[in-house]
Amino acid sequence: MGNEAAAQAAEHSGELIHYLPTATFLGEVNMQTMYMTWISMAIVFVLFFMASRNPKMVPSGLQNVMEFFVDFLNGLMEGLLGVKGRKFMAPFIITLFMFILIANELGMLPQVGVHWTSPTNDINTCFALSLTVAGTMYVVGVIQNGFGHFKHYVSPSPAFLPLHLLDDITKPLTMALRLFGNILAGEILLIVLYQLAPWIVPEFWVMFSLFVGFLQAFIFSMLAIVSFATCFAHH
Amino acid sequence: MVNINATLIAQILNFLFLVFILAKFAFKPLCAMMDARKEKIAGDLEAADKAKADAEAVKAEYAAKLADARQEAQAIIDNARKTAQAAHDKIMADTKAEQEQVIAAAKESIALEQKKAMEQVRAQVIDLSMAVAGKIVEQKLGSEEDKALAAKLTDAALK
Repeated sequence: MGNEAAAQAAEHSGELIHYLPTATFLGEVNMQTMYMTWISMAIVFVLFFMASRNPKMVPSGLQNVMEFFVDFLNGLMEGLLGVKGRKFMAPFIITLFMFILIANELGMLPQVGVHWTSPTNDINTCFALSLTVAGTMYVVGVIQNGFGHFKHYVSPSPAFLPLHLLDDITKPLTMALRLFGNILAGEILLIVLYQLAPWIVPEFWVMFSLFVGFLQAFIFSMLAIVSFATCFAHH
Repeated sequence: MVNINATLIAQILNFLFLVFILAKFAFKPLCAMMDARKEKIAGDLEAADKAKADAEAVKAEYAAKLADARQEAQAIIDNARKTAQAAHDKIMADTKAEQEQVIAAAKESIALEQKKAMEQVRAQVIDLSMAVAGKIVEQKLGSEEDKALAAKLTDAALK
């Protein structure tokens, strides 16, 4: 086991980003990604848990901040999915947005004591999220419309079937790669900048990356909402 | 660096777990509060609209009542003025009639007194002139014809 870890360390020593791949009962798992995912999950849960304890009619502090995000996403969902769709999809979409947002910003924390990375700098996380969105889309479609949901694959004519299938394959692919590319590139460039110009310059990049982190979370959630629109289209 | 492994499955499970616990423990109270607030604001706005409409109705009613009262007051004033004018006219007419009556009575009385005085004067003048004439005539005349002539002459003189 020790030799294996040493061999892995040697294998990955030339890389800027370390995923700490470790063999588990599931197979090889990137433990760095897992730790950061758990931290992100804990932060998201604590934020919402604190905000929703004893909620006030006149919100203040954390409740206000979380309600801002919820309201913002509810507005997007109500526009694209309708009120019924909003009520059905709100927990999924709000969790998706908040998790990606916190995950993206986690890698921008100062590297003091802990090696902070974004869980979204791992292609596995990005594909996990985009495939979950795609899978949920089928499940919700069947729950809402029965198996008639799949009729939209042959509309307006069966000739469109290949296009619809292609769309279903490329959508998760592009969503995952966009998120992965943006976040990984941001972190790599930050590391490179720290080596080239350790003072001041990287801070500007951190500010920009914080913005990119928000933007990517928004884009990912927005595309997810749009893909759910077919499930609620006829309402 | 781009290496798909079991992390993919672990991350799907992680994410679904997060959705589940957030939906169960956090979203329900928060969303319930947001919906309650939305309803409260909508209800308050509706109540405010209703209160405003009520206030406007009361205001309109008040204005109508005020106009009525003003009209009534004007009618009362007009009526009073008319009554006062009638009383004034009546008093003036009565006074004038009375005045005329008094004047007429006075004139009649004066005429009567004048007549009486004239008769007295006439009698005295007759008596006096008779006495005077008697004295004079005592010397020359004394007949009844003379006396009648004297009376005739006196009347002529007094006219």
